[in-house]
Amino acid sequence: MTRTLRWIVFAIAAIAMNFPVIVTLITSFKSAREISSNAGLWINAPTLSNYLSVLTDTTRFNIWLYLFNSTMAALIGTLLAMALAFPAAYAIARSETGRRVLFPMVVNLRAVPLIIFAIPLYMMYQWLGLLDTRIGLGLILTIVNIPLALVIFVNAIADVPVELDEAAKVDGASTLETLRRVIWPVVRPAMPTTFIFGFITAWNEFLFGLMLTTSKAVPMTVGASFFFAASGGGVNWGTASAVMIIGALPPAVIGLMMYKQIFGSMTAGAVKG
Amino acid sequence: MQLVNRGEGRLFLSPLVIFLLLFLGFPAIVNLVYSISTVTFETLRAPELSGYGNYLDVLSDRYFWQASWFSLRFGIITALAECLIGLFLAIFLNPLLGKRPYLMAPLMLPLMVAPAMVGLMYRLVLHEFAGPVPYYLWMWFGDSPAFLDADNAFRTLVVIETLQWTPFAFLLFHTAYSAIPSDVREAAALDGAGGWTLLTKIELPLIKPTLIIAFFIRFIDGFRVFDNIYALTGAGAGGSTTSLSIYIYQAFFKQGAIGKAVAASVVLFIASLVVLYALTALGSRRKEKT
Repeated sequence: MTRTLRWIVFAIAAIAMNFPVIVTLITSFKSAREISSNAGLWINAPTLSNYLSVLTDTTRFNIWLYLFNSTMAALIGTLLAMALAFPAAYAIARSETGRRVLFPMVVNLRAVPLIIFAIPLYMMYQWLGLLDTRIGLGLILTIVNIPLALVIFVNAIADVPVELDEAAKVDGASTLETLRRVIWPVVRPAMPTTFIFGFITAWNEFLFGLMLTTSKAVPMTVGASFFFAASGGGVNWGTASAVMIIGALPPAVIGLMMYKQIFGSMTAGAVKG
Repeated sequence: MQLVNRGEGRLFLSPLVIFLLLFLGFPAIVNLVYSISTVTFETLRAPELSGYGNYLDVLSDRYFWQASWFSLRFGIITALAECLIGLFLAIFLNPLLGKRPYLMAPLMLPLMVAPAMVGLMYRLVLHEFAGPVPYYLWMWFGDSPAFLDADNAFRTLVVIETLQWTPFAFLLFHTAYSAIPSDVREAAALDGAGGWTLLTKIELPLIKPTLIIAFFIRFIDGFRVFDNIYALTGAGAGGSTTSLSIYIYQAFFKQGAIGKAVAASVVLFIASLVVLYALTALGSRRKEKT
């Protein structure tokens, strides 16, 4: 009895939480005619035409460009954050430098509304000519990803027994060599998780994409909203749905493939940070 | 043995520090300077210092307080709802999920979808002609509320935010709850503690730290909400859905009121520092106890 109840609660929760995705997925397979006559959750005549037109007709909305922009900016934003965080994490875990002030400050960054920095960053980008560039967007996404990367790396390095470092030092290894030969192999398993979590976060970011890009470097999250601003005749819900599904797909697929690992890092970042 | 000496430590930290100074430190200073200046898009490079006028503008702006009140209410209500539902699901579904970890996947999916994308999706879900929710409400009840008008928008947004982020609280609680050692439960059972007593006297106190952390994280994220509201309503509905983040964005981009936007940023910054300080103080007190 209770068991059945548990299954029912699970089903309700799963459907309610994923409801917008379910509805959008269903609508994306309906023809324009069917959408106007049938807004329900079943499809009479499923069609791929929405996906075809979105992916092939790029005269007004270039979805490939948006996908490319999101990918590039997210790659920059994730890899750079990891590259900056890794050596810093070593210093924080193995010396007094940075542990008192820098580490808590960076971790707390996660909790600061980034809109605070958005206006001066907009001006700075204007001066530097970084507005509407993929690199510019990637640099900002780096900021978004640094806190979690640092927390994961510091925790991972702190789990390495200090004796290993000491043994390497006794054998005459320099700090850089110790980092490369002792620390790196142990921390390496944390890299894919950090990368994937960062990539998803960066891909899903919206505010800076909205503020700092206009056409050439528009990411998918912002580009998707363009499909709603269609002039005249209202929104074409079929193609808009296809766009939303395509835009939501990469992080969802990667996330579900790696959900166990992501789950771990998410809770690690939250609880230990 | 000194593993990493001071100089090396600094060297390893320097790339990160330089990056943060460039992308956060410099903007912070620009914010402070502009917030006490008269500045327009024409005089960006030569702002004229003019005292605290911008702060007066912001603090006497009715819409600033309306937005603050929105953010505060939104943050508290959604965080509470997410934690309560998440806690219920974590405990109630635990026997189900323990043996079948793959069931976690559908409960985690909402966390992978961009909030902006979710906002856009709800435009469809709630659309009066194309959306299934009004469709079924009309079919079954012959009526459907205007979900996004000024009266209902707040409630609608709370539900949307809660549905997307309850999984976050749920995941934290699930982990904490599953991590309670079985001998603790067995010992309590030996002492005669049954279901409810076990839950309220043993289990909940054990996961209390996680409860507090989840609430704060969700409160902070709800407080600074931007993406889904902007994507869904464009912050319309008569300003009834303007969060603080959206207020700052609009002051800058829509009205070109740079000084006001920047002063509001500084006020928001100070407010978040206060919250963070409180959180850190709370955290360190917790550590001393254990």
